[in-house]
Amino acid sequence: MIRMGKLLFAAVLIAIAGLAAHAEKVLRLDEVAVGELDPAKASDYADTILMFNVYDSLVIPRQGGPGLVPHLAESWQGEETSYTFKIREGVQFQSGNTLTAEDVVFSFDRMKAIGQGLSFLFVSVDKVEVVDGNSVRFTLTEPYAPFVSSLVRLPIVDKQLVMDNLEEGEGEMGDWGQAFLTSNAAGTGAYLVESHNPQEETVMKKNPNYFLGVGDRAPDTVHLRYGLEAATVRTLMAQGEHDITSQWLPPEVMRALVEDGNQFLTEGGTSAFYFKLNTQKAPLDDVNCRHALANAFDYESVLKLIAITDEVSSGTGSTGAIPVGMFGSNPIGNERQRDLDAARQNLVDCTYDPAEFEIEITWIAEVPLEERLALLFQANLSEIGIKSTITKVPWALFSSSVNDPASTPHVSQIFVTAVTGDPDTLLYGMYHSTKAGTWQSPEHLNDAEVDRLLDLGRLAASDEAREEAYSALNDRLVAIAPSIYGYDQQSVFVARPNIKVPALSDPALAFGLDTMGFLFRLMEIE
Amino acid sequence: MGNVLNLLIRRVWISLLVLVGVSILIFLIARVIPGDPARIALGPNATDEQVIKLRGELHLDDPIWKQYGYFASELLQGDLGTSLYTNRPVVKDIAQFLPATLELVFAAGILMVMIGLPLGIISAKYEGRFLDNLIRVIALLGVSAPSFVWAVILMLLFAFFLPLFPIAGRIHTDFDIARTTGFLLIDTLLVGNLRAFFDALWHLFLPAFALALSGIGQAARLTRANMTETYRRPYIEMAYSYGFPGWRVARKYAFKPSLIPSLTIIGLDFAAMLGNAFLVEAIFAWPGLSRYGVAVILRKDLNAIVGTVLIISAAFLIANLIVDLLIALLNPKIRYARRSP
Repeated sequence: MIRMGKLLFAAVLIAIAGLAAHAEKVLRLDEVAVGELDPAKASDYADTILMFNVYDSLVIPRQGGPGLVPHLAESWQGEETSYTFKIREGVQFQSGNTLTAEDVVFSFDRMKAIGQGLSFLFVSVDKVEVVDGNSVRFTLTEPYAPFVSSLVRLPIVDKQLVMDNLEEGEGEMGDWGQAFLTSNAAGTGAYLVESHNPQEETVMKKNPNYFLGVGDRAPDTVHLRYGLEAATVRTLMAQGEHDITSQWLPPEVMRALVEDGNQFLTEGGTSAFYFKLNTQKAPLDDVNCRHALANAFDYESVLKLIAITDEVSSGTGSTGAIPVGMFGSNPIGNERQRDLDAARQNLVDCTYDPAEFEIEITWIAEVPLEERLALLFQANLSEIGIKSTITKVPWALFSSSVNDPASTPHVSQIFVTAVTGDPDTLLYGMYHSTKAGTWQSPEHLNDAEVDRLLDLGRLAASDEAREEAYSALNDRLVAIAPSIYGYDQQSVFVARPNIKVPALSDPALAFGLDTMGFLFRLMEIE
Repeated sequence: MGNVLNLLIRRVWISLLVLVGVSILIFLIARVIPGDPARIALGPNATDEQVIKLRGELHLDDPIWKQYGYFASELLQGDLGTSLYTNRPVVKDIAQFLPATLELVFAAGILMVMIGLPLGIISAKYEGRFLDNLIRVIALLGVSAPSFVWAVILMLLFAFFLPLFPIAGRIHTDFDIARTTGFLLIDTLLVGNLRAFFDALWHLFLPAFALALSGIGQAARLTRANMTETYRRPYIEMAYSYGFPGWRVARKYAFKPSLIPSLTIIGLDFAAMLGNAFLVEAIFAWPGLSRYGVAVILRKDLNAIVGTVLIISAAFLIANLIVDLLIALLNPKIRYARRSP
């Protein structure tokens, strides 16, 4: 009888273990609303998570090192104005259709025709055509060195599926499948879209036919939730109903969550925080005055302000205009330092009398952290006798006020990210004179040498030449100080302890591109 | 009945005029919010050609009256344009988000009536005694703290410390319910899934209660104030002197005349909740129209702003219309007063 009981007990244990082994692995995470599912319109963080998991691109960043590796492409060759990619054979879309070179051409044409999202990355592409059956050639109007890295942001769409779902619109292609792709997926990605509500959540399921396969420990189902409040996330995490937070939680909430036994995840290297100085408005049209502000800024205190714990922070010390790790960046050890004596001397050299001016420091109403940074900067400036006012500005007002140097404030605070991981997508929009007057470029900089170096960075054929160009650009930007390089931004997330995300916890396995760490197929749930 | 019908026709006509006025006003206001909607939608890296193209598609370079003409003619065809925020037709967005908010607001309205009015009646009946004081304190608490504060407190108490209620969303992810009406309480019943119905109800309770608390307090205080005044009327004294039981006096003679002001306030509260539900929706991750409305304003999404405000205005007008009709039905003096010149 006792033996029978033991056998029964063992059977129950085995059954429970079996059930546990086959229990569905669910991952729940959140991001800022909305989630855009159409590859031709996607641009924000949530959109990018969707793109990297539901779609694939010809190339992706190398994991754990610089450079790119083929992905939907098998290989590529080319330089200057012509690049040819051989398409990987045997890859199937989630619909079951087979990937062909035609799909690549269609994806590009569609993105260019719609003209939204990240289509600006491909303005230099003249045409895309199929060559030799299963290869595709991109012809550029002029050399553009970061072109291949831009392809990371060209999700490849299932042409046949989209053509089957065209709706009315102008021209032969109707609406280019916009109505369909707003709510449905047409990719090859590792995850299928089960449901999508752009303001609530997107539910994704593992794609059993993914061409690279998806590990057993990767999540079976993913719930990407949008627009959760900090209090909600805190409670959901405490109840075990949420797995990874967004990076937008207040530091104290993150700290509390980690004290509860959760872990930090981090991602950095392609974005930075800048105090942008209006170089067309007195007294900041004088470089000495700008240097005075840059030297007075307390770089160490700002790092304390954004620290989450003693070990983890939302940023690291800035070494210049380019975040550490990108082409042309200065290495760690060259962090910017406060120098009040130099700042006072800069004021003496400035053609303006600082007492006659009141510097307007703005902060974006939707980013509360910026108010604290503005207060710190105001205190720093008062130490060298510069008066300042702090103004809270809603984003919509800010983005329109910067069109004209006269209405642009003296100092604006902005976070900027390189969308492809290449410094061109970080710096060109900020500092080239043809791009002045957007929210990225309230400096209104017009410097011929900066323009020349930015163009050189685009044209340089080799990595060495690009490194040289961006290094010189970095030096020039430090010398003329159109911005104060506040800190290199690091995105911090909190995850439950059973979630393993190597790309966000082990620097040796990180990707050199924001959001790429959120490839669900590389995650593990224990 | 003829009076009520006349009243109904007159009010519908006035409401339609008000809606046209609101549409013009909000159309103009949305266009003076700073910022170029095309530039905001396309981002800083968009080329000038892309911005010009989108401005053309949105008719932003046309004179304002012409823009309103386009808008009005499309509106008459049931088209509110495309949202720059979600990149979907505004009508589709509203159809998706409105039922969630309406369900929340209806539930809050029911709680307001079911709890607020009885509390007011009890409070008036036991005026000056412990129960009255207790209810007045509760009502004051409800009125004095905004809904989002209650949302956080309720979440902390009943979801964090005592995990009795769910924290986010409208229904558990295990349930895959076909959205026929968008009202989950109805849709779950339509598919005959009682477990899903109770789960949706369970998800609804905390946000609806948080949203209703202020209204409950207001309804209780107003009902109490009106009823205590009514209790002092001679006919109530007479009812007591005839030996009518206390509850009969309260229900039949004191409550009915005291209901009219409460009903007006409840109606206005109910409509105001449509717009004010934003923070409660945000805290409980409730995918509703209020949250959508705030998001589109911040992004200067012109079509979506106008569409959302029009829908909320229409709801306001409908709620007012219903309240007016109820008052007319309840009070013959008001009903017949409209007849005289």
